[in-house]
Amino acid sequence: MRPVRVYYNKVGKLKYISHLDINRVMLRMIRKAHINVWFTEGFNQHPYINFALPLSLGFESTSEAVDMRINDDMTDDEILKRLSEVAPEGMKITSVCEPVKKFSEIAFADFAITIRGDLSDKLNEFLAKPEILVDKKTKKGGVKQIDLKEKIVKYNVSKANGNTRLDITLPAGTQENINPNLILNAFCDDLSVESIIRTTIYDSEMKIFA
Amino acid sequence: MELSDILLKVQKPARYIGGEQGAVIKDKSKVDVRFAFCFADSYEVGMSHLGMKILYSVANSLDWAWCERVFAPWEDMETEMRKNNIPLYALESGDKLSDFDIIGFTVPYEMCYTNILNCLDLGGVPVHAKERNGLKNLVIAGGPCTCNPEPLVDFVDLFLLGEGEELLPELLELYREHKKLGSDKQTFLKSAAKLEGVYVPSLYTVSYNGDGTVAEITPADGAPKTIRKRIIADLDKCHYPDNFVVPYLDIVHDRAVEEIYRGCIRGCRFCQAGYIYRPVREKSAEVANQQAKCLCENTGYDDLSLLSLSTSDYSQIDELLAKMLPWTEKQKIGLQLPSLRIDNFTDELLEKVASVRKSGLTFAPEAGTQRLRDAINKNVTEQNVLDTCKVAFEGGYSAVKLYFMMGLPTETMEDIAGIADLAQKVIDLYYSLENRPKGKGVTVSISCATFIPKPFTPFQFEPQNDFNQIEEKQKHLRDCIKSRKISVSLHNAGTSLIEAVLARGDRRVGEVIYTAWKKGCKFDGWDEYFDFEKWKEAFNECGVTPDFYAYRKREYDEIMPWEHIDLGISKKFLARQDQLAHKSISTPNCRQKCAGCGATVFGEGICCETC
Repeated sequence: MRPVRVYYNKVGKLKYISHLDINRVMLRMIRKAHINVWFTEGFNQHPYINFALPLSLGFESTSEAVDMRINDDMTDDEILKRLSEVAPEGMKITSVCEPVKKFSEIAFADFAITIRGDLSDKLNEFLAKPEILVDKKTKKGGVKQIDLKEKIVKYNVSKANGNTRLDITLPAGTQENINPNLILNAFCDDLSVESIIRTTIYDSEMKIFA
Repeated sequence: MELSDILLKVQKPARYIGGEQGAVIKDKSKVDVRFAFCFADSYEVGMSHLGMKILYSVANSLDWAWCERVFAPWEDMETEMRKNNIPLYALESGDKLSDFDIIGFTVPYEMCYTNILNCLDLGGVPVHAKERNGLKNLVIAGGPCTCNPEPLVDFVDLFLLGEGEELLPELLELYREHKKLGSDKQTFLKSAAKLEGVYVPSLYTVSYNGDGTVAEITPADGAPKTIRKRIIADLDKCHYPDNFVVPYLDIVHDRAVEEIYRGCIRGCRFCQAGYIYRPVREKSAEVANQQAKCLCENTGYDDLSLLSLSTSDYSQIDELLAKMLPWTEKQKIGLQLPSLRIDNFTDELLEKVASVRKSGLTFAPEAGTQRLRDAINKNVTEQNVLDTCKVAFEGGYSAVKLYFMMGLPTETMEDIAGIADLAQKVIDLYYSLENRPKGKGVTVSISCATFIPKPFTPFQFEPQNDFNQIEEKQKHLRDCIKSRKISVSLHNAGTSLIEAVLARGDRRVGEVIYTAWKKGCKFDGWDEYFDFEKWKEAFNECGVTPDFYAYRKREYDEIMPWEHIDLGISKKFLARQDQLAHKSISTPNCRQKCAGCGATVFGEGICCETC
């Protein structure tokens, strides 16, 4: 048995598919691809697969990852080939390799956001403010006020074909997670967002996660 | 706003995007007939329906036709669609309903009738058949409820009666010819009425007696006096999908499904399915096994369910399980055997069911006393129930669900008390067993539905219990239950009344459906949406009394609204069975002795083995 990490993109219509549903999609893909994955051995035996980081409904991503364990000696290339053959439209398997770091070490993520219309000046102005206070729901169901400004690692606003492009790096992972929608909603509550793509994930030292 | 923006504002957008694996995409410029197959309920319910999966596959096997799926949008989505002028569309192409040549509805239960109207309206198609003048947007319907199509005749141009695997392609072919010829709608309909199994309601006139009952149903333009349903002669040779559209969402039945036979040998007198799918025809174990294997392979499902009206009555069940268990176990595929009967549920079968995953157990004694069970021809005994529960408890189960009906013909308060008694006996049995599950209490859940008389059953002549009777019986049942380990769930009486009216309604009920829909009724099968007050208003405004359809005893010689529909079940047989019910005499099952229902006219299946 050996651990395997599968990287994939989730784009297009798949942005409407929830994280929970992607879990089932992956399980069916593994079956159809005849990949001999390790099953848990409890009362309700099921294939062991573990996703890096949930992706919000409506987001696309070019940096998704899932771990599984392989019972036989199927090669990474073979796994990549087989999964690619059964992947739904919008999912591209980009690489298969041995995991190096644990998913719990993921700490930051890059997002590429396209907003319809040219709002670049206003957005720059907004993001340049000394603090951006918003209410954030806590896991326990309460609400606490946080300053988004101090959470933003870096950002860049640009113009793209009459639209506004925001590239932003935010905390992401089990320790702290900032959804870019918090920032967009704080900026304007009826923004027309064309797309939000999670492009890269990093560890706590801002090294690309692998 | 664009559809893509709306999708992120509604719950479960995956319902509305299509693109699932197994969905069939064709080039619309290269097909002759475009067929929108609609299921007038939510995506999760519709996508669980085997009939739709079969016919989707059948229609798409024709290279000149493209069959696409349409489901009723949930309320949040409908609101956004109406606000933004987005018409209801098919999931494959995204094209609006009004772009389609044929719009077909499968009608599995009465409480979706208002949703049919709502789907047409949302799709930009006039709901009334008489307002649709062209050949395009032909509205067709089929499925179990269309055995009494009369309440829907205002809205549907033609009905396909019985099984559709052969009839649907024949109809599509005929449509294709007429479309090429540029025929008008009337010419096509007259021609379609000549296909066996096609009912064109506009070719029939119905007259009524002074007391409101049907006087005569008269065909015109050469349409047949009675329309006989179609059946498939040999299930082994019949088209069965080798792949399903596999949804992203978790739907109601999210698994591979293998149909093992059609019809039912039992003839429980309340059960419509037990009569309208006759004669009993089995698929061979060999073919069923191969098809199931192929389905699991192509879909990637890790759950497989056998489908029929009563799994344990399948004569080749042992042979089939022997073929299936090796590969399902090896691939860790959960095998589900729903609809097991308590009189032939063996240790062995239980063991097989539980070998991969253990789920709850549900049994349907249907009535509380032996006398009433005999009257409804549910041939199970109290001992059967207790024996099965014993096997289940010793096998580690500690929760049992028991299904009953309330308001059955000939029912007395004694029968109601019998429901509570039986549940109590199950509890007592549990505690009498030494090898019961350790450290666990037992729970018995009683679910009690209100009996609804349905066409083509012996009880089609019977009145439904009114609200007072049901209320009294429900109270009595609650009073009879002494243990807190017994829980009871009861059905909404309003829903049951509307269902009863729609089930045995005639053409005059159509206006009520329309009026109720106009008032906002939809998703009537969902308790949170069902609005009884609106339905009552609709009846009042149309001058139609629900009591006439639901609570009236119908004479054996009364002309039923569905008298011209021939399912191969004779009315004389149904009347005979109803008389036997009143004497509490049961009828042997089809395998023991032919009861002479009339299904021998089809010359297929079990009728040929026993006669």
